[in-house]
Amino acid sequence: MNFSSIGYLIREGFKNIWSNRMMSLASIGVLISCLVLTGSAIMLSINVSEIVEDVGESNVTTVYLEDDLSELEAVYVGKSLTKIDNVTEASFYPKDEAIEAYRDVLGEEVFQNMTGDDNPLPHAYHIVMADLALYDQTVQEINKVDGVSTVSSRSDVAEKLTSLNTLITTMSFWIILALAIISLFIISNTIRMTMFSHRFEISIMKSVGATNSFVRLPFIVEGVIIGLASAGISIGLIMLLYDAVKQAVKGIVSPLGEKFVPFSEFAWFIIVAFIGAGVVVGALGSYLSIRKYLKKEGNEILGW
Amino acid sequence: MIEFRNVFKTYSNGTHALNGINLTVEKGEFVFIVGASGAGKSTFLKLIMHEETPTKGSIIVNGVHLEKLKRRKVPYLRRTMGIVFQDFRLIGKMSVYNNVAFAMRCVGKKGKTIKKRVPYILDLVGLKGKAKNKPSELSGGEQQRVSLARALVNNPQMIIADEPTGNIDPELSYEIIELLSEINKRGTTVLVVTHEHELVESFNKRVVRIEGGKVVSDTKEDDTMVAI
Repeated sequence: MNFSSIGYLIREGFKNIWSNRMMSLASIGVLISCLVLTGSAIMLSINVSEIVEDVGESNVTTVYLEDDLSELEAVYVGKSLTKIDNVTEASFYPKDEAIEAYRDVLGEEVFQNMTGDDNPLPHAYHIVMADLALYDQTVQEINKVDGVSTVSSRSDVAEKLTSLNTLITTMSFWIILALAIISLFIISNTIRMTMFSHRFEISIMKSVGATNSFVRLPFIVEGVIIGLASAGISIGLIMLLYDAVKQAVKGIVSPLGEKFVPFSEFAWFIIVAFIGAGVVVGALGSYLSIRKYLKKEGNEILGW
Repeated sequence: MIEFRNVFKTYSNGTHALNGINLTVEKGEFVFIVGASGAGKSTFLKLIMHEETPTKGSIIVNGVHLEKLKRRKVPYLRRTMGIVFQDFRLIGKMSVYNNVAFAMRCVGKKGKTIKKRVPYILDLVGLKGKAKNKPSELSGGEQQRVSLARALVNNPQMIIADEPTGNIDPELSYEIIELLSEINKRGTTVLVVTHEHELVESFNKRVVRIEGGKVVSDTKEDDTMVAI
């Protein structure tokens, strides 16, 4: 196929859109809905992950050591703790420092009786986990370390946020998959309609010796244009929507509004993903619908 | 050019369309294929164009053994033949010029070549002044000339005309066959399927009669009946 043919076929693709404009507009509308819903799911997932990460960073788990452990032995325990995969940080919290925190509560006289060898508290470590979803597994690992007595239970908020994040990520995946299939079906149907209205030309093309790729290209172009137009409009809508949601949340719960990930941080991801999805869904939808048609011959194409 | 060796064709619904056809058409010949409807004429053409494949037997077209032809090579086989349909099959929204140019665009010809070739072919079929007209503005005979121009424009080795005079007046039918005869004189093989006996008789050409999916007679140009 030479350049003049490609130019001609691309023009034909644009003409197809115009001649089938109502159906093309309907497909663009449905695709925009799919892409905006997909984008919303992605953004919700990104923001919940960010919040979970925040909570994770501020969530310090305390590992209490055995009572009779010396400071030197405690240092060895600390080294073992940092070797555990999910533990990103382990800071030593000596028992003297711990009792100091209770000085005001206990009163000076009682406090004095609880210092030095009389201190009833154990040494401890404050640890930070990289992934709170692996909390239980990590605690099991920590409990295996010699010298560890108990591990404080994680905060409920972190636990709930982590399960919410997992739920949103899973749901997003299925929503995106379902919408991709719907989009493919919609594009495929639109192209099938165009093909039906062009069946006469297709039968002539085949009878004069046009190759399958020549017959296919205008329909692929049509699908890709529908996909790209939908992606472009969806990107604009998502930007506006994100800002509007951010402002609305800020108005209700101010600190949460501040925690929103700025759109610019994932704008490129959204742009590339939407354009990629538009092109792939458009081209694949067209390809699938014309494949069946290309196997037909002569009057079969015309349905005679 | 075309060789059918003991060709059988049975459709999936059980219809036996061809029952052992043996036929050879040499390069540069003009052949009428005649027979009643349902005799197997259309199947015969479909097999040449490779729209259908034989149930048994072998077919050679322009040196290509069709049973060995790969699917992706079929378009290139079809470029060696020009097809003329009974119902013209012209694209209504396109002008006469564009209908003919369309066949050239489909095989990837460049714009410059198209601009040069289409007026020449339209002149050849006597439609020079009708290039801008839409098919609906032409008579049946003129529409069939456009169809013929489209079949000729890619310079095929053979023209296959399926009932080319079926939808036009008798006097215009004669003109169309005359035109095909002229094209044949320039070296293009012509195969005309028809059931119009009078028309066939008025031209001294080879006539192959198909009945019940078999060749029942083959009359050469010099009127010698060949025993089948």
